[in-house]
Amino acid sequence: MFDPLIRLYDQFTSWLFQTVVQPALYAAGMMEWADDAFSWMDFFVFGIVQVVVVYAVCRPLEAWRPVERWDDRRVVWTDVVYTMLARLGLLPLMAFVILSGVQAQIAGWIADSGWVAPTLETLIPALETRPLIAFALYILILDFGEYWRHRLQHTIPWWWALHSIHHAQEKMTFWTDDRNHVIDDMIAALWFGGLALLIGVPPGQFPLIVIILRVAESLSHANVRLSFGRFGERLLVSPRFHRLHHGVLSAGEEGRNYAVLFPIWDMIFRTGDFRRDVFPRTGDPEASAALVTGGWWRQQVEGTRRFLHALTRREAR
Amino acid sequence: MRRFALALPLLAAGLFPGPGRADVVFVINSMDPGIQVVDPVSRAELRQIPVLREPHHLTLTPAKDLLLVGDSGGNEILFLDASTGEVRKRERISNPYNLEFSPDGKLLVVTGLRRDQVDIYSWDAASMGLTLLTRLRPGDMPSHIAYRPDSKLVYVTLQGSRSIAAIDLEKREILWNLQVGREPAGIIWHNGKLLVGIMGSDHVAVVDPEARKLERTIRVGRGAHALFPTPGGGPIYVTSRVDSRITALDPVSLDVVRTYEVPGGPDCLSFDEQGRIWATLRWNRQLGMLDPATGEVTTSPVGRSPHGIFFRNRSLVQARNETPSAPVER
Repeated sequence: MFDPLIRLYDQFTSWLFQTVVQPALYAAGMMEWADDAFSWMDFFVFGIVQVVVVYAVCRPLEAWRPVERWDDRRVVWTDVVYTMLARLGLLPLMAFVILSGVQAQIAGWIADSGWVAPTLETLIPALETRPLIAFALYILILDFGEYWRHRLQHTIPWWWALHSIHHAQEKMTFWTDDRNHVIDDMIAALWFGGLALLIGVPPGQFPLIVIILRVAESLSHANVRLSFGRFGERLLVSPRFHRLHHGVLSAGEEGRNYAVLFPIWDMIFRTGDFRRDVFPRTGDPEASAALVTGGWWRQQVEGTRRFLHALTRREAR
Repeated sequence: MRRFALALPLLAAGLFPGPGRADVVFVINSMDPGIQVVDPVSRAELRQIPVLREPHHLTLTPAKDLLLVGDSGGNEILFLDASTGEVRKRERISNPYNLEFSPDGKLLVVTGLRRDQVDIYSWDAASMGLTLLTRLRPGDMPSHIAYRPDSKLVYVTLQGSRSIAAIDLEKREILWNLQVGREPAGIIWHNGKLLVGIMGSDHVAVVDPEARKLERTIRVGRGAHALFPTPGGGPIYVTSRVDSRITALDPVSLDVVRTYEVPGGPDCLSFDEQGRIWATLRWNRQLGMLDPATGEVTTSPVGRSPHGIFFRNRSLVQARNETPSAPVER
């Protein structure tokens, strides 16, 4: 069923690589990176696919049963800018360049010691011939890591100073998922990529895992009155579940519903709120006007100022 | 059930092309990742061998009974039965990107492209045992390997250092480095010279290893990559990944005798007994077959980013241990 789509995708990436990327690398004297560029070009192409898929899924839902209706959608466009920067591979590419350098150094030290880092499959040999189960386990572990990153974003003052940009949006849509400070994005990439390297996520699977998590996160931010039902709400994060996290009474350390993909972490750590009939207003009542209605640049500057204040132990909020 | 019963005599007679009896092609897909065993006639997949992370290259053991496949991302070498494709053993080895046995069959040199290391292992065929003798760091991104025929020296291309390194296998130390051009990739020993594919440029560099001197260059096409001598002394074929072509060089004069346009970024080659060339087409996820007599290219789909390739002729299984070792097709 997916073969024609896969073929189309392959033809496009093959054409893009051979006519644009590889000649550019050759001209720049960087052919030693050709193999890596071919692998990571997927991020750019996947980024386009993500935006298209997310829009195709979420926009009709938002039009169908919106929680809120607004006449003025200018602040939503700021979130669109965030999405374009984050999803078209710019930030992940930066993170990869940094990470691959760090990883090469660490791997070199490890190699010198004669010890070879394990992967999930070497710890559980049965997974060697069950790639789908291994793939699911990698997602589960990474999602667990994301749960704790998210909790720390709400707990550590300097981190909340950055993350509050994300919570300041009073007109939350599926675009809001990418509304983050660049420092916060970099930390997230290091956290996520570092954990992926630690547990040995196959490089080829990494973009796919990122896409699954990102599509789920976009949907969870959508302005849609949608709940997955009594059991579904406990299996996957829904727009209803995550809206409670963004509710005006849920900012900062008062947070709840931190899970990104699987609500089981909120169940285990008793931070879940499963009231299915509650669709609160979103936003942070203590956020400044710059964070609520400012453009991308103004929000970044304001976020940096608050971050530095928090780091120097001054009041961030 | 009836169909199965009818098939039994045929199976017993060996008329079905089982992997051990017929020609097969081993294709290493670096981004899927896995090893595909392909029937070269029907192009059907006979077997899929899952690999942990990112396999690239393979080599045949001196006895020609095993194929060693390096999984650089998974830090593992797989030992495959060259007749059946069965996995006989998996061994934890640090970053095995490329690997090659010495002509005397005693050593295996493994390059770790991402870890900037060249490992020298001793090889014990009886136990399929590899023992790390030493680890050297000759430079940035060690890639391909060529031996001097007396097995005393090995030469390694260093893609990030624009050079090749000569390593003394007895003293296990680096003898010298020589600048040869931007991003050198493939390397072979040929009539006392080293031929090096200069991937960041469009030529093959001819190096005199005794004088430690770059003698001349031969223009083949942008992204010159790897070199493959025809078994038995025919032309030397060179792949160019940017211009996407295979160039035939005269084995004596090293002049270009013919150029074949092969879309998809040809990378590694292997030869069948009819002299046809089987190629991995990296960017098109295809297995290509070039008939050098006619220039005709046929393709069939394989996994993503196919890299290493080995055409296992059926005669290899029968003649194993009877013939002197031939150059390993990589």
